[in-house]
Amino acid sequence: MFLLDAPITSKRQVARGMFVIGLHAPEIANSVRAGQFVNLALSPGPLLRRPFSVYRASADHIEIVLKAVGAGTAQLLALELGDRASCLGPLGRGFELAAGPQTAVLVSGGLGVAPMPLAARDARAAGMRVTWVHGARTAAELCAETDGETVIWATDDGSQGTAGTAVAAAPDAEVVLGCGPNRMLAALAERWPAAQVALETYMGCGTGVCLGCAVPLKGGGFDRACKEGPVYRAADVDWSALPTHLSYAVTA
Amino acid sequence: MSVVIGGMRLRGPVLAASGTFGYGTEVPLLERRALGAMVSKGIFLRAREGTAPPRIAETPSGMLNAIGLQGPGADALISDYAPRWAEWDFPVLVNINGESASEYGELTARLDGIPGVAGFEINISCPNVEQGGLYFGNDPRAAAAVTEAVRKRTKLPVWVKLTPMVSDIGVIARAVESAGADALCAINTFVGMSIDLNAYRPRLSFRTGGLSGPAIRPLAIHLAHQAARAVDIPVIGIGGIMRAEDALEFLVAGCAAVQVGTATFVNPNAIAEVHDGIAAFLDSRGFSSLSSLPRYLPRD
Repeated sequence: MFLLDAPITSKRQVARGMFVIGLHAPEIANSVRAGQFVNLALSPGPLLRRPFSVYRASADHIEIVLKAVGAGTAQLLALELGDRASCLGPLGRGFELAAGPQTAVLVSGGLGVAPMPLAARDARAAGMRVTWVHGARTAAELCAETDGETVIWATDDGSQGTAGTAVAAAPDAEVVLGCGPNRMLAALAERWPAAQVALETYMGCGTGVCLGCAVPLKGGGFDRACKEGPVYRAADVDWSALPTHLSYAVTA
Repeated sequence: MSVVIGGMRLRGPVLAASGTFGYGTEVPLLERRALGAMVSKGIFLRAREGTAPPRIAETPSGMLNAIGLQGPGADALISDYAPRWAEWDFPVLVNINGESASEYGELTARLDGIPGVAGFEINISCPNVEQGGLYFGNDPRAAAAVTEAVRKRTKLPVWVKLTPMVSDIGVIARAVESAGADALCAINTFVGMSIDLNAYRPRLSFRTGGLSGPAIRPLAIHLAHQAARAVDIPVIGIGGIMRAEDALEFLVAGCAAVQVGTATFVNPNAIAEVHDGIAAFLDSRGFSSLSSLPRYLPRD
C-alpha cells in the first residue's frame, strides 16, 4: 500500500458525464490487481477520501472513472492536468482469476465499468476468452471504451444494443465478474451465485479501521468492503440487507 | 515529549483514539515511533455484530458514524490481539463497554492481568448502542458506579471517556474522579443526524450517529478545558485534531495529552505528523519540553 501525491496526467470523456482520469502513481500502477481500488483526497476538499476502482494501469500511470455524483467527485472532476490528488492504494481484495477456465464474461452497469478493463487484462493473462457486457439507461450513458473478444451492449430504453439489463443480455461463461448498482448485482447473484462481484458502499478510511463500509453477509454479520472486499462471491452477500441506493453527500 | 498520565509514562503526548485504530494491527503506513499509546476499538464482554449499513455519512468538516461497537468480544481479544500488544513498545489500553455497571466490572476482571493489556478506557459515552453507553455518561451517579465497578477489579490505569452530551461536564468529571479514575478523556462524539433528501429518511440506518472531525473541534476544546478545570487528574483531549496546531490548542487549554481519531481515516500517518509538529513547535518557540508549554487553565 502506498500514499502518493499524484499529479493528474490525462482526462477524457467516455460517456455523458463520465470521464477517465489518469494519475501518475508508479508504485500503485505496478502492483494493482483487477478489482482493487484507490482512495483519493484533495486538500482543500471534503474531509474523507473517495474510493475509485482502478480502470487501467500502465507502467507509471493508473486511470479511474469519474462521474460527478456529489461535492467531492465534482471537485475531482474540476481538476486540471498537473493538479495533484493524494492517492492511497492499492486497497482491497480484487478478482480471483486463476488459470484453468476458458471463458469469462464481464458484466457491468454504468460506472460499474470501472474495474473491467483490468479484469479483462487479468482474465486474458490467465488464458480466458473475454466477453464484455455493458449496460446503461441510454446509449449516451454507455462507456464508449470496451475490452473484449466479444462485446454486448444493453440499454434500458433500447437506444443501443439489447433492450433490457446487462445481466439479461449476458451469455453464460465459466467465470462471471460483475460490477454496477447493487440492484443489478442482486439480479446477477440470482442467475450466477458463484459470480464475483465488486460492490460499492460508503467508505470511511478504506484501510479496514473504521468499519464504516459494512457488507451484510448471508451467513450473518458484516465484513468490510475495503478489506475483505470489495469483491465478493455473489451468493455470500445478503442483498436484501444491502442498501440499494447510495445517496452521495451533498452537504459535505 | 514524554508525559505521565495517571502514573503511566507515555513516550509522547499523541495517542490513537478508540475506534479509529482498530486493534492496532490494521492501520498501515504509520510511523509507530510517534505513538504515545493506543486505545483499542471498544469491546463488550461478548461479540457484537454492529449496526446495519449505511453506517457513516460525511457532513461539513465531519463525519457521522453509527458502527454500533462491532467487535469480537473479550475472549477473541485475549487470544487474537493481546499477545501481539505485549510485544509492542507502546501501551495498549482497552476501551471497555457494558450494559450494566456489573458487566463493566466483569469485563475488567476478565482482562486484568492479561499480558498486553496496559489499562482501561471506560466508554460511558458511545451514542450508538441501545443499552448502556451514553446512559452512563450523562448521569453522575451512574458514571461513578461504572467507574467504581472497574476500579475495584484492577490496579491498572483507569481512564474514563466522557460524552459531550451533558449540561455540565464538570459534574461528571468530578464524579468519576471521586470514584477512582486516573484520567479523563474528553470528549467522545456528539450525537448528530443527517437526512437523505432522496429517500426522505436519515442517512444512517441507526437514525443518529456520532459526529467527529474538525466540525466538533472548538466544542471539544471547550469541554476538555471545562473538564480540566474541574478535576486534579489529567485530561486527555479529543475532538477533530488534524494537525499539530489543533493538538497544541488542547494542550494549552489544559490537556495533558491528546488522542487523534478521524484524522487517521484520511491520513494513515496523521499521528506521527501531529507528534512531529508538536516537537517542531516547542523547538521553534524555545521550550525545552512539553511541560514548559504555557497552559491556560484558571481553576474553578
